[in-house]
Amino acid sequence: MKTSLRLGLLAGFGAATGFFAGCASQGVQNPSGVPVTEMKADERGFVAGTGVESQDLVAVTDKMARSILAIPEIAQATTAPRIALDPVVNDTRFPINKDIFNDRLRIELNKHALGKVRFLARDRMKTLEHERALKQTGQVTASADPNVTEFRGADYFLTGKLSGMTTKAAAGISDYVLYSFQLIDARTSEIVWEDSSEIKKQGLEDAAYR
Amino acid sequence: MRFFRDESFRLATPRVNSRGVVGRSLILLGAVLALAGCETVPATPIVAHTGDPITDGNAERNVAKPQDRVLWDYRIAASALRAGNYDEAREKLDDAILRIGGIIANSDDAKKARGLFGSESGKTFIGEPYERVMAYYYRGLLYWRDGQPDNARACYRSGQLIDSDADDATHKADYVLLDYLDGLATAKLSGDGSASFDRAQGAAQGRKLPPYEADANVLVFAEFGHGPMKYGAGEYAEQLRFRVIDSRAHSAVLTIDGNATPLPPYDDVSFQAITRGGRVMDHILGNKAVFKSTSDTVGNAALAGSAIAANNLRRGDGSYSRGAENTALALGAIGLISKVASAATTPRADTRQWNNLPQRLSFAALKLPAGEHTGSLEFLDADGTPIAAQTRQVTINVEDPSRDTVVFLSELKR
Repeated sequence: MKTSLRLGLLAGFGAATGFFAGCASQGVQNPSGVPVTEMKADERGFVAGTGVESQDLVAVTDKMARSILAIPEIAQATTAPRIALDPVVNDTRFPINKDIFNDRLRIELNKHALGKVRFLARDRMKTLEHERALKQTGQVTASADPNVTEFRGADYFLTGKLSGMTTKAAAGISDYVLYSFQLIDARTSEIVWEDSSEIKKQGLEDAAYR
Repeated sequence: MRFFRDESFRLATPRVNSRGVVGRSLILLGAVLALAGCETVPATPIVAHTGDPITDGNAERNVAKPQDRVLWDYRIAASALRAGNYDEAREKLDDAILRIGGIIANSDDAKKARGLFGSESGKTFIGEPYERVMAYYYRGLLYWRDGQPDNARACYRSGQLIDSDADDATHKADYVLLDYLDGLATAKLSGDGSASFDRAQGAAQGRKLPPYEADANVLVFAEFGHGPMKYGAGEYAEQLRFRVIDSRAHSAVLTIDGNATPLPPYDDVSFQAITRGGRVMDHILGNKAVFKSTSDTVGNAALAGSAIAANNLRRGDGSYSRGAENTALALGAIGLISKVASAATTPRADTRQWNNLPQRLSFAALKLPAGEHTGSLEFLDADGTPIAAQTRQVTINVEDPSRDTVVFLSELKR
């Protein structure tokens, strides 16, 4: 065997064995970490599932806010209707932060309604009642007679429901979520507005997890 | 390097002893192998334990690899629940569910775990289905405790979906309590929980489930026994198996204000673990094991051939055989590469585990007025005889009878 061939053979074996042996060592994933990436809330991130995500929340509440503002009860009201929020009901398989839907819907409506609607802070009643009691007992000053009830009653209740349907098969998992919202007349119980949005997602996990 | 240069020079010298050349070449290969395996791996810092499972768990979690974070979340959450530290449990379960609730795809560590030379335990841990189900089960309990039965129901549904992976249809989505509690939450939200109740009854293997009582305001979640333990079976520990030691406690009785409420075992976590069936990953690990075994055999045969060839470098007439030298060298190299490939193949199954799970799960719904209620909890063996050493006093405080009070009772201490 020629010397150059021997040397080449040795070098090749050395590289191959080094490569194989190196594979046995544990590596460190992303040793420098992954830098924080700022994303828009309506943008799909690189961490994703088939459940309710921020981009869905933004898309759904944007649509609902536009839809509510267009109805005659709001658009043509002579005095701004008072709306109380009732937490959404989650009927999906995804545990969610329920308040965030109503919060964003309220914020969007307040931003675009230009005073056409007023929301009632029912979730703050305990604090408000305490403040009123302080005023009534003269412990703090009052700009009006604290014994006169001024807490507003609701003209409408805004509420919603998330319903889901899931399919799981060898090909992956598919989740459909229906986001429905209603505006209910507090006096008559009539549903004066209703709209919905639907999102379907599917995916398949890496074989290492199946 | 000087060593390589000198060695090359010697190889190029025509008068050198050829048997020595073969021997040195193989030694050189061996040295390359040894050096190549010397890559340092950062050691996990050693944590000094205090004896408190939550403190120790958090300390371990802080120094653990990112891939093991959920594992520690699980363990800490279970300990925190048993210690009545619900905020801690909630935080850890939320962190875990954030990870296990998504779809893991295009993951580098998962891809490596599937490769011949990557270990399954290098992938991000989310646990086997029975472990993920328990994360949702516990989180559901806490959602209910926080006055959110709909989110609790969502957890039970996710848990049942995770269990739908079982090979055998009779074991798909067969947790009794997940369906039962799904229906109870629905009933309490003024819905119709009968379909869920029927599914739960169907999975209850003849045990009659108590009907829903909408005015029952105290929900008792009980657990007893130690859950399954993972181990690797097979020549290379490539087969994931579960060791199940049946717990002595088979059921319990909760006596409050003189009224006894049975807490039968509705679900068995160990049973759920062993009835899942094969995983796709088991197939991958099986292939790895075959490769490891085959490459090892090839390596042995090639090295033996190389040794035989090296012993025949001199012919009977004393002349030197170039062919035998080349054969010895080639077979030696093939043998070494095969042996290294075999050694580097890691078919071992991932046995990281949620090691403080219970074996049996039970539930009961009571109706109690506002105030403090005292009583006892007795654990019973298979014959229904109380295990005296395990009996403990229980106090249930109902602050607001209009909302559900959730009580968590565990035989396990940590």
